Amino acid sequence: MENWTGTLRLDVEERQGKTVAKNVYFQGALKVMRPIYHDNSGQACYYILNPGGGYLDGDRYKLQFSLKEQAKLTLTTQSATKVYKTPNQHAYQETEFFLKKGSYLEYIPDPLIMYRDAQYVQKNVIRMEKGATLIYSDILTPGWSPDGDQFSYDRLRLLNEIYMDDELVVYDHIKVNPAEQDMQSIGFMEGYTHLGSMFVIGEQTNAELLDKLHHLMDQNEQDYKFGLSMLSVKGFSIRVLANKTQTIERIFSECHQLISEDWFNTKPAFLRKY
Amino acid sequence: MNPNILALFQLCDSNLPTGAFSHSYGLETYIQEDQVHDQATFAKWLHVYLHEQLIYSDGLASHLVYEALEKEDFQTVWKFDRMLTVQSLPRETRDGTQRMGERMLSLVEALYDVPVLTEYRKRIKEKKSFGHSAIVFTIIGHHLGVPKSTTTLYYLYSVISSLIQNAVRAIPLGQTAGQKTIQQFQSELVTATAKIENLAEEDFGITSPGLELAQMKHERVNIRIFMS
Repeated sequence: MENWTGTLRLDVEERQGKTVAKNVYFQGALKVMRPIYHDNSGQACYYILNPGGGYLDGDRYKLQFSLKEQAKLTLTTQSATKVYKTPNQHAYQETEFFLKKGSYLEYIPDPLIMYRDAQYVQKNVIRMEKGATLIYSDILTPGWSPDGDQFSYDRLRLLNEIYMDDELVVYDHIKVNPAEQDMQSIGFMEGYTHLGSMFVIGEQTNAELLDKLHHLMDQNEQDYKFGLSMLSVKGFSIRVLANKTQTIERIFSECHQLISEDWFNTKPAFLRKY
Repeated sequence: MNPNILALFQLCDSNLPTGAFSHSYGLETYIQEDQVHDQATFAKWLHVYLHEQLIYSDGLASHLVYEALEKEDFQTVWKFDRMLTVQSLPRETRDGTQRMGERMLSLVEALYDVPVLTEYRKRIKEKKSFGHSAIVFTIIGHHLGVPKSTTTLYYLYSVISSLIQNAVRAIPLGQTAGQKTIQQFQSELVTATAKIENLAEEDFGITSPGLELAQMKHERVNIRIFMS
């Protein structure tokens, strides 16, 4: 089925220290704005837009990003991904990333908001060469309903696959089906409403960095709880349970800053939303 | 009656030296946080662990690997060895299952002569595969001609009964409470096996946020009697 509601393709490469688009293509209900250069590092920042303002019944979106050697790219969205009710067919988004050796990708989309009776499947496939660096995070909210009920959506599947040199190295699969699961129970959301996930892959990963990140998050672990663990390749994952989007955004932004300072001696740019 | 059922049952014995007695899969985190403190709270955790994590990982892998063995489709066997390993984000759980898988493999190699086990060993040595008990167990179940659903059921039983024995030591629970939990979970395991038969490959690796977070947290739990 090649019938897409929106498609977007962006290929970037490094030219004289600056990351620029080699190819930009979009059609239907997806587009990117012109790149923003937050500092003089040459790192390009693109905002992904969904001009329709939300995903509807049966919508299908396909995004592809490729980074050539040494390209440095930040990708974010302009606002939260909203999935409205889908009475007949779930909405679907698939995003594929190709990262050449030496490239650097930050993919930091806004939170996902599922409306009452919404069904959604999201699949991210990241194909990286050894020596590429990835920072990815996402936030799942309890959704929205007119009467304020939480978890009133129908069902949701979030899939992240990361390949390194064509071998699968991370397989992350979350399914939420609020009608059949006791969301507050032990093992599920455990009294929290928001779930944050972060995946970082980079050759510089070491136990010391994880200790620092643990210390950072452990300092004021009152209104959230977190887990942090090394992957089977050089990298790690973080999960955070909290009650507010802002709490998770703050934690991830602090972690991001610590990683940038540790690895590159730089500070990540503040991603302003319009 | 298939006499080989007893042969497979041998691998379900919690005395089988694979190291299962030193893994709690995040249960110890909940014990430390006092969220699991008696038979009822333990049974609740075990229910979620079985139905929201184990069936989608080990359980579904056992089912699909058995089917692949019937077709002599070994690529699929190795694929699930990798999938089982990389879907486990918490390091201790991932390393633990890998170590147990290797130990079980060494043990059954001494008991059975099955070419696919030899190949598995070779692949692990060459770092092409990782090793996982669910795969080793399923290879033996298939080799012994034990039916697919029985193999899956017995595998789940072996994991759950080890966990119950670990909980008896760690919470602690009385021996009778432990046996009651084993009895209570017999029907749950049958239900879980039936669920697995109706799952598709695309359901593989589903996990539940809290369970996984507790497994990650275990790395830094203060007092530990388990390795995961």
